[in-house]
Amino acid sequence: MLSGILRQSNLDLLREINRLSSVLATVSAPTELVTYQDMVSEACRYLRGLILQNLQYLDLSRDDILDDILSQTQSVTAVFRLYNQRIASVLLRYRPSDRLCLRIIGWLHAQHARTRDIPAGLDDGEFGVWPEPRVPLIYFMPSSGQHGLLYLPLFFHEFGHLLYACHREEMDALVRDLQAEIAALLEPIFQRDGLPAHPDTELRNHIVERWYEWAQELFCDAVGLTIGGPCFANAFSMYLRMGGRGKFYLPREQLELSEHPVAWLRIRLIAERARQVNLVEADRLESEWDQIAARMQIVEDHCGFYERRFLPSIRKAIDDMLTEGSPCKFSADDVSPHRWNAKSSSPVHLLNTAWSVFLNDPGGYAGWEEQAIATFLQ
Amino acid sequence: MTPEWLAIQSFQRNQDLLNAINTLSIHTKLGRRGHTDVDRTESTAQAREILASFLKNLAQVVDQAEQTGSGPLLGVDPRLRQLAGDFSRARQGARFCSRLFREPLSDTVDLLTSTEPTDQQALVESLSELRTLIEEHVQTDVVQILEDF
Repeated sequence: MLSGILRQSNLDLLREINRLSSVLATVSAPTELVTYQDMVSEACRYLRGLILQNLQYLDLSRDDILDDILSQTQSVTAVFRLYNQRIASVLLRYRPSDRLCLRIIGWLHAQHARTRDIPAGLDDGEFGVWPEPRVPLIYFMPSSGQHGLLYLPLFFHEFGHLLYACHREEMDALVRDLQAEIAALLEPIFQRDGLPAHPDTELRNHIVERWYEWAQELFCDAVGLTIGGPCFANAFSMYLRMGGRGKFYLPREQLELSEHPVAWLRIRLIAERARQVNLVEADRLESEWDQIAARMQIVEDHCGFYERRFLPSIRKAIDDMLTEGSPCKFSADDVSPHRWNAKSSSPVHLLNTAWSVFLNDPGGYAGWEEQAIATFLQ
Repeated sequence: MTPEWLAIQSFQRNQDLLNAINTLSIHTKLGRRGHTDVDRTESTAQAREILASFLKNLAQVVDQAEQTGSGPLLGVDPRLRQLAGDFSRARQGARFCSRLFREPLSDTVDLLTSTEPTDQQALVESLSELRTLIEEHVQTDVVQILEDF
């Protein structure tokens, strides 16, 4: 009997949810994760409510609603697995060393009215974020980077995805305009005259549709630079520049599937934006990438997915998206050569100072960083 | 491959939709048999809102796709674009035959609040087929953000 199967599965789910809740109740979350823990507990309560509801409906012994209860049980199972496998692990894996990242993330969220009340946690993995405000937010970072200062500015890029999600409707409209402009630029003249579709129509569609994700990634790069300034540009470049040939060039077939524009193009656009705010790092970073590309005999070619004539449209779209998302901007103090002061300086100043110390005195950096982190976390 | 930031958003959107479909479907079926589901009045109203909003959004994307013909869909995230594509293909095929797939989407939005028995039957059928479509669609997100066993 299906109703018996459903009752059994719901009771099993209820037991699993209760067990996870019990385990989570024993976690002594640090201040930075208290609201995250509250949100997970609330989600467990919500899921428990849905299970109890399913059991009540099963008590009605109505055959005509069994397919609905089956679907609902499967849906609750999927959501519970998300919490059990991924979201709760942020709390269960917590290490005191997470506080460095969590403090930066907490500061970042506190700078914006729309993100202030959104709790976030940290997990291991390639840099990334799950920017869905209805579930507890997770930032991902490779393990070694979590213990130092140099790569923390890459969280600023990930934060851009959250800003996009918080302004989705307006952002999607701006991306739509950008895609329309790129589509118009790619339209061959005889197509505009109403003649039959060009055989490359499919490729053009791929290019235009790919720019949905790429526009968001470039926006996030711009958010990173806007918040962090030089520390973001340095972190971005250093993290990616030894990533191999694929960071400079991808064949068309791979670009069609690529979530990001190639990193070399991203560096060009970051450098261009950095020049607009008079950051001296722009020329150096771009030159470093050019040198690597030259030695690898890579000629810049984006296989039609990017052309220089797209640039004015891209620049305008990203500018408008920054206006909409309104990330905080690094200040003159944040890039000041004066050493970071725990009492009066921002975390951005700390991260810029870290890059300055690292680039000027790599040998002495480790000792300085250890002390700076200890001071920052006091 | 879909980036994880898109997969988690799509996963949550689709789970919300499934919850709304199941809530409204049960409420409608029980109501038709005279069973008052008073405890769920608030969640049923919320389910109607979620579904109305989704169907209007889907209608916009499908309209855009029909207007552009073979052109690209603009300003639409890839997962919603895929769902709209699945929906359009389903409309052209014989697998789905509820009003949702045979009439303009605005008709189904009207069904959400209708108290007519024939409309309620049509609503139950439409919700059932929409659920099938979404359950198939959400698998991509599930595989990406959860470990497969």
